[in-house]
Amino acid sequence: MERSRTFSESWHRVASQKIFLRPGVEVQRQQFRGERWIVLRNVLSNQFFRLRPEAYEFVARLQADKTVEEVWQECLERFPDEAPGQEAVVQLLAQLYHANLLQYQLAADAEQLFQRQRKRQQAEMGMRWLNIMFMRFPLLDPDRFLVRTLPWVGRLISPAGFVLWLAAIIWGGKVAIDNSTELMRQSEGILAPGNLIWLYLGMVIVKTIHEFGHAYFCRKFGGEVHTMGVMLMIFTPMPFVDASSSSGFRERKHRMLVGAAGMIVELFVAALATVLWAKTAPGVLHSVLFNMMFVASVSTLLFNLNPLMRFDGYYIFSDWLEIPNLNQRATGILKYWIERHGFGVKNDRNPARSRSEAGWLGTYGVTALVYRTVIFAGIIWFIADQWLLLGLLMAVACLITWLVVPAVKLVQYLASNPKLERTRSRAIAVVAGTVAALLILLGVIPFPHHFRASGVIQAKEWSQVIAEAGGEVAELLAKPGQTVRAGQPLVLLANPELALELAGAKAQKEEVESRLRAAMQRDSASVKPLEKRLESSVKLIQRLEKERENLVIRARHAGVWIAPGGEQMQQRWLKRGTPLGLVVNPAGFEFSATVLQEDVNRIFQREFPQAEVRLPGEAGKLASITQFRVVPGEQQTLPSPALGWAGGGDVAVNLKDQSGQKAVEPFFSVVGQFQSSGEVTLLHGRTGKVRFELPSEPLLPRWFRRLGQMLQKRFQF
Amino acid sequence: MGSWQRRSHRAGDLLARAAEVDGLAGKYSDFADAVLRERMGDFHEVFRRGGAPAKAQTLEALAAVREAARRCLGLNPFVEQLAGALALHENCLAEMATGEGKTLTAGLAGVLAGWLGRPCHVLTVNDYLVERDAAGLKSLYEFCGLRVAPVTAAMTPADRQKAYRADVVYVTSKELLADFLRDRLRLGELHNPERWMIRLVINPSRPPEGALVLRGLHTAIVDEADSVLIDEAVTPLIIAAARSNEGLKQAVELASKLSARLKREEDYTVDRRYGDVELTPVGMERVRLEGEVLPPFWRGQARREELIRQALVARELFHLGKQYVLEGVKVVIVDEFTGRTMANRSWREGLHQAIEAKEEIPLSDPTETLARMSFQRFFRLFPKLSGMTGTAWEAAGEFWQVYHLPVVRIPTHRPCQRVHRPDRVFVTEAEKWAAVAEEITQVQKLGRPVLVGTRSVQNSEMLSHQLFAAGLEHRVLNAKRFVEEAGIIARAGERGGVTIATNMAGRGTDIRLGPGVAGLGGLHVIATERHESERVDRQLFGRAGRQGDPGSAQAFVCVEDELLLRNLPAPHRKAVRATLRANAPGADLLARSAWKQSQRAAQRRAFKQRVGVLRQDTWLDEALSFAGMK
Repeated sequence: MERSRTFSESWHRVASQKIFLRPGVEVQRQQFRGERWIVLRNVLSNQFFRLRPEAYEFVARLQADKTVEEVWQECLERFPDEAPGQEAVVQLLAQLYHANLLQYQLAADAEQLFQRQRKRQQAEMGMRWLNIMFMRFPLLDPDRFLVRTLPWVGRLISPAGFVLWLAAIIWGGKVAIDNSTELMRQSEGILAPGNLIWLYLGMVIVKTIHEFGHAYFCRKFGGEVHTMGVMLMIFTPMPFVDASSSSGFRERKHRMLVGAAGMIVELFVAALATVLWAKTAPGVLHSVLFNMMFVASVSTLLFNLNPLMRFDGYYIFSDWLEIPNLNQRATGILKYWIERHGFGVKNDRNPARSRSEAGWLGTYGVTALVYRTVIFAGIIWFIADQWLLLGLLMAVACLITWLVVPAVKLVQYLASNPKLERTRSRAIAVVAGTVAALLILLGVIPFPHHFRASGVIQAKEWSQVIAEAGGEVAELLAKPGQTVRAGQPLVLLANPELALELAGAKAQKEEVESRLRAAMQRDSASVKPLEKRLESSVKLIQRLEKERENLVIRARHAGVWIAPGGEQMQQRWLKRGTPLGLVVNPAGFEFSATVLQEDVNRIFQREFPQAEVRLPGEAGKLASITQFRVVPGEQQTLPSPALGWAGGGDVAVNLKDQSGQKAVEPFFSVVGQFQSSGEVTLLHGRTGKVRFELPSEPLLPRWFRRLGQMLQKRFQF
Repeated sequence: MGSWQRRSHRAGDLLARAAEVDGLAGKYSDFADAVLRERMGDFHEVFRRGGAPAKAQTLEALAAVREAARRCLGLNPFVEQLAGALALHENCLAEMATGEGKTLTAGLAGVLAGWLGRPCHVLTVNDYLVERDAAGLKSLYEFCGLRVAPVTAAMTPADRQKAYRADVVYVTSKELLADFLRDRLRLGELHNPERWMIRLVINPSRPPEGALVLRGLHTAIVDEADSVLIDEAVTPLIIAAARSNEGLKQAVELASKLSARLKREEDYTVDRRYGDVELTPVGMERVRLEGEVLPPFWRGQARREELIRQALVARELFHLGKQYVLEGVKVVIVDEFTGRTMANRSWREGLHQAIEAKEEIPLSDPTETLARMSFQRFFRLFPKLSGMTGTAWEAAGEFWQVYHLPVVRIPTHRPCQRVHRPDRVFVTEAEKWAAVAEEITQVQKLGRPVLVGTRSVQNSEMLSHQLFAAGLEHRVLNAKRFVEEAGIIARAGERGGVTIATNMAGRGTDIRLGPGVAGLGGLHVIATERHESERVDRQLFGRAGRQGDPGSAQAFVCVEDELLLRNLPAPHRKAVRATLRANAPGADLLARSAWKQSQRAAQRRAFKQRVGVLRQDTWLDEALSFAGMK
């Protein structure tokens, strides 16, 4: 606002008017940051109007039989120093008239009134579309219901109610701790597709109770609650209630309590739900209770308490700071600072009334701005990713409301805002400079770039140890974990059947041999078949002997003998082909990463790609790898089930597949050699994350590429 | 829809229809006077009823009015004038060059509008023209069955009331608006239609409009529309009453003394471009210390600094002979656009007193505004607004945006023979004035009359001194000598005449060439400065070469001109100066573009200011609608 002049050129319009505050306007004193303010409340529309005591001194003196001029003169005589100037009075009267707080003598200009209403409705519609992600639809007026039920419900809002609440919370907390393992187990599946419907149901129940919490608290302290309805939060219907009449409460404590009421009630619900949940067997009720508990505790504290979004936390925070309209004024002060220091606008009034208030407003403004940018970007990405074409359209709508509309407004503001009259070129230069700097930062300056993939450590030389013959484990010839030489026996199997078979075969051979000898002397005609028989029995013996040799399982190469079964294998019967363990040569390891097709190229943009591997549990330690090669050809089977969803990894796998190794999307294996193991213990089969260092690249092209890839993937462009 | 309507009025279309009217001339020329009069009565009746029949008979009626004009005035309107009249009748802004007979054009349109039976006001620039035109066209109007009356400043309320009862009223826009506002004040809260009706029902014997002067507002035909609707549109007309306020006077007096002790740059800074003054922190501190003497009401920081700033504005930005002149012990405001003095006007509360305090003359009582309205807001009230001017094209967009007036360019009857010579550019004022004097001498030697336009009273007096010194006979027309206006204008076109005039000479004056002058080359116009608005320049140049006469025009400008000082950034100005000094190649081009740019910047700023005032007015109307419109 410009400096307010003592004399106004519009003074004659109001000077002779006899106007005064409408009867029934409630006047309330409030303290904000140590300053006294007067809050006027229009009882009919439940609107509030805050003004300074000096201004109120003037407004309070307005009466039916005095003109504005007379009242002003009176004020000048009484408080020559503080009385508002004519311009301030004209402004004030215009605002009061706009808030429908004035009674005046002339019949109101009906056309003006209708126009004003139309304008207001249009503005509301506009706001609805601008808040497309949080659209509100008022449905009913709960006030009478609240008043009727308050005598019963209201009793809970008392010290006794607080004790009850506290007891419930403690009880619920105790039950939760007692059942913590079960809780943790069930929480893991909270976002599983099958649970979403229960989650939503729990949410609606809890949020309805939450909203009634606000309503009852507000009513208890005397505020009226006239609007209840449905809010489409990111297109998900949720209940809401308008308890804004609490802003007229004199006590800050009460205002804050109304803000916190939703959470207070929710925590109570969470406690009860926990107790009931622990007592019910699995089933629909159990699921709903669990989800209610989850929503009412975790999500409430995560979302509602957060002052950066405009939920309960914001209002509590704003009341606690004693800065009403925190968000609006925070934006105001950022604008003021930019205009003053960036654009060089003078004569503008600082929206903050004190240094500390300015500090709070500024901090809040910047934090909320950054936070919201991130959240909104996230929402847009999420929607576009989730709902295909419709999602894309909605994302475009969001982009328009959150990016294009503000940009157009900025241009309009720069081009024609009268405030910038004298410093327009500087303002344009500053904005253009900022935009250019941003573009350079994002579009020209390369940033180090990397990308992560999960993979598994494999020894260069390793083999699976398989029982090549069936048999009972008689002895572990080498202890698992021991380093073995090539050919060193590892396990001795005993197979009595094989021994018997061998003995039988040998006996048979002897029989054939003796029959052959006899035939040679007497019956030369049968020599030939007998020779054949002998040959076959020799072969049988050879085979069986080989098999017996196989009962001693040997290491095919030098390495460490790893047997997951360990000592428990003793005396177990193994079928032929059963895997016993691994022999892994620790001399050299490589890392096999699963990389999606679109990312493979990027790795090889560098001539000598560099990468570092991080292993879970050894977060601080790195091992670097080089000399990558791609295993040519797409693959579908993961090198380890631990990489897939089924095994707790992050590669999407086909859930129907038993092995858990069938990836949904084909991938490439990129294999790299460990340069030095560093401090990392390299173990065969260990999963880890590899971080590929890519050539530095500006951020903007990267983002566009990701967007392009997403579109391509979703729509097969 | 807007631009469609704007384009639907093409000059070509109008001219074609005007030619049609011209074709109908034969139809009425044989009628006896009595028959024609009777025919006029029929038209009157049709127009009064309005609707489609009136529309269908427009051309017929215009042809009849034309015939009447021929008989009553002895003037046979050209096709161009008929086109102009049609344009006015259809609520357009007609651009017609000087000397194209705008008075008659307005008369033709006035008859058509008068026939509608609703109040019709023809607005001219000054009382002289009001009386001249009303008297001149009286016979035409009467022939057509209409009463016409002039309203001038000198008339009493009773006379005014009587005059406004006429079908067509000639009046200046200032008088009309003032009467309108006074009527509003008289009506008081009755301007609300419901209250009016109730009052009429309750007390039918004493209709409240008895005391009212105006019949109402319906048709306005505005002459020099660009000046009225744009240049002066935001200066509000104020009905005020003096009210003594000793406290204010005392405070202003003290502030003036205090401000005289402050030093520029040290205590305050002046922004000439935007016309305001800022106190520096040092200045603020000084004002705090010395402000103890002020009356209690003015002691608060915001108030005392406002008061001091106002005193400084009076000191730094208002200059004797430029914004105001002294008549005895009175400060009289000078209109910067026309150079005329505006008696009985005063600046806003306090500022006027601050200037009086600076001049050390007794302070007048501050005036209390009773009603106030800008012309912009006023003319938007007319259901049927139309206008004429020589220069409208440049502001066509604004006419449309603010008044929904489409601009139509009516070609001149005879081709224009004016020679426009390129501007002569100088570095310093002294060089420029020397060259102007030289040029005047040269042209005057040829026997051609010269009209020199200056921007301020000061400049006109200075040039006059210079010419006196050179022994050159000349006449001066400025705010101080407005009494002789008509006489000076009448002789300005005579052989060898030299006339120095402030911008006022540009408007509504038709300089007829003396005998034999046309053969010498006609009137030569010298503009000694470029004006902020191109239109005003064109107005001045338009004095030469009227109605196909020969003539020439040239502007003399220098880097020290106020136009550049106020509108061109200092580095740019320095560059222009250096290039001119060095006489570098391309200096001409650079200078021309610099002047263009300055004018554009000035016009843009003025436009923004007007839009800002309009917005503010609209906001006030809405925000204070509980108080009614005043």
